[in-house]
Amino acid sequence: MDEIVAEFIRRTILKIPVAEIGKILRIWNFLSESQLKTINLQQCKENVSQDVVELCKKKRASMKEAAILDIIYHQTCQIKKIWIVYKMTKAPGEEVDLSDMEEFKASFKKVLQRALKNVHISFRDSEDDAVWIRIAWGTPYMKPNQYKTTYVVYHSQTPFVFISHCQIKKYIPELWQALMTAGNYHKIRQMELRSLYLDSLKAIVFKQYNQDFQTYYLTPLEEENSEAEIVDPRIIHENMKEKERIQRVTRETFGDYVQPRIEFAQYKLETKFKTDCKNGILAEREEPFRCLVKFSSPHLLEALKSLAPAGIADAPLSPLLTCIPHKAMNYFTIREK
Amino acid sequence: MASSQKHVFSLTGVLYQLERLEARDQRSAKPQDEHQGLQDSETDLEAKIRKLRKLRDELRTKVKLHEASARIPITNLEPYEPLKNSEENLEMKLEKAKAFFQAFHLTGLSGKLTTKGVCICFSTAFEGNILDSYYVDLIIKKPLTIHRHSVPVFIPLEQIAAKYLETNFQHFVYSLSEHLNAYSGRKYQADQLQCGFSAFLARPLQRNSLCTLLSFTYTTDPSGKSFPFCARLVYQDLTTTLPTNVTITYQGTGATPASWEDQRAAHEPLFYKNALYKVFESFLRVREN
Repeated sequence: MDEIVAEFIRRTILKIPVAEIGKILRIWNFLSESQLKTINLQQCKENVSQDVVELCKKKRASMKEAAILDIIYHQTCQIKKIWIVYKMTKAPGEEVDLSDMEEFKASFKKVLQRALKNVHISFRDSEDDAVWIRIAWGTPYMKPNQYKTTYVVYHSQTPFVFISHCQIKKYIPELWQALMTAGNYHKIRQMELRSLYLDSLKAIVFKQYNQDFQTYYLTPLEEENSEAEIVDPRIIHENMKEKERIQRVTRETFGDYVQPRIEFAQYKLETKFKTDCKNGILAEREEPFRCLVKFSSPHLLEALKSLAPAGIADAPLSPLLTCIPHKAMNYFTIREK
Repeated sequence: MASSQKHVFSLTGVLYQLERLEARDQRSAKPQDEHQGLQDSETDLEAKIRKLRKLRDELRTKVKLHEASARIPITNLEPYEPLKNSEENLEMKLEKAKAFFQAFHLTGLSGKLTTKGVCICFSTAFEGNILDSYYVDLIIKKPLTIHRHSVPVFIPLEQIAAKYLETNFQHFVYSLSEHLNAYSGRKYQADQLQCGFSAFLARPLQRNSLCTLLSFTYTTDPSGKSFPFCARLVYQDLTTTLPTNVTITYQGTGATPASWEDQRAAHEPLFYKNALYKVFESFLRVREN
């Protein structure tokens, strides 16, 4: 077995958290059950990976199998990779086609390999009927670099493709061409949507985040026990009413369920500066005042949802903030109307 | 195709030469009659394909209407007769309205008024099993637009809306309901096969998002004694829950045994006529006997 393959497998195992190693090796299904039993998972990771490499050497693992191990690792563990969403469109008049995934894979591989020499492509189907494509890029003079890979996730018969942020930008056009040819599409464009969490991106784009269509018929919430500090009953009533109103509006906007998880929203403003103060260097200027506003949070949409109930912002929130899942965007450019 | 314009500014040298060659090439590519001729025949063929597809769609709707007219029409009401007593009038109207709602409830369609329009709920079902519901939120204004929806992205909602939303709203609702019910039904069959009859499957079920292409390898005997059958079911029509094309092939080495051929000939029509899990239920019954 190649030393490069051995080193790659060793490094991959080192990346996997100890709790998941057994599970991932089982899914990989390259080493037999009896061989897996011989690995002592209690020892330090260095030794575990060494044991795995020894077993793989006996079985003569090739880069092909090692690539599959890499894909399984990415599919199982939450890897910190930024995913960008792309949307493909068909030529007008085209119908929904049958979309045989095997044909898609064969076609994709053929087109990409024809365009670029020395590119290593691996496929693995995931549980939710998507195909994960792992691409290691090389040059005409260099073998593919297995450590700088691009991942593409594609669900058949959908126009959306999820591509992990690629450090090697110059091959993106060839990648797009292969995707469009294999999927039978006409155009591809990058959407203004990206996040670390692939599942959330899928939820937003496939509208699987349980959009609550029943919000129109909900009765106002039952008021919880509020503190009896304020004695005047009229004041309590006003507070209650306002609280109820905020809850209702928040519910109508965001729904009852957990929001998809994204980490930031970015607004590029190209609007004129508006101020009450007539004097001042920025007032009355014709050119737009360009600035970038970025909201970031470990869970941005949940944070926005809690703004009004926490009293930090007025309800309803600005539609620029609440439209993020509906419009499937978290990068906005706002210009003068 | 996504392409980027490259502006190369070069004054002298190799790059300049290459630019000139490129420009010359582009100029010589323009007046080419036979290229034009090929393009013309291509557009002709495309137009022909579109015409044939339209004809196929029309024939399909005709077949469906023919089948539908055989059933008792629930929306056919007797012509309205003015009654002497206005109270009886009102009661009769109420009864008819109730009957309408009941009838529509059976179709799985319901709607609620919203502040700006109406939200239609499509409840899908297959062979007595209630499946998922999908919503379409419409804003009533000229032109009628879809504000939000929970229809999966691979259902051709935009095409159906483009065809019918403005011109024939009833048909829009009917067509979308057909697509959603058929998709739900196919998905249900695939899920049932995957979960309920996994013992029969030698290889896990492979499907595409719309469940219009299913491929799996099965045996009639889960203990593994009989030969495997490699089945590929194609559902060309997005509005049906039964396959339009069934291919069963032999996966093993060597020639196909005669008994396998007989079984294949018996299985193929079963897949055409019955829901997937019903076919496997019949295998189960045969085995138990």
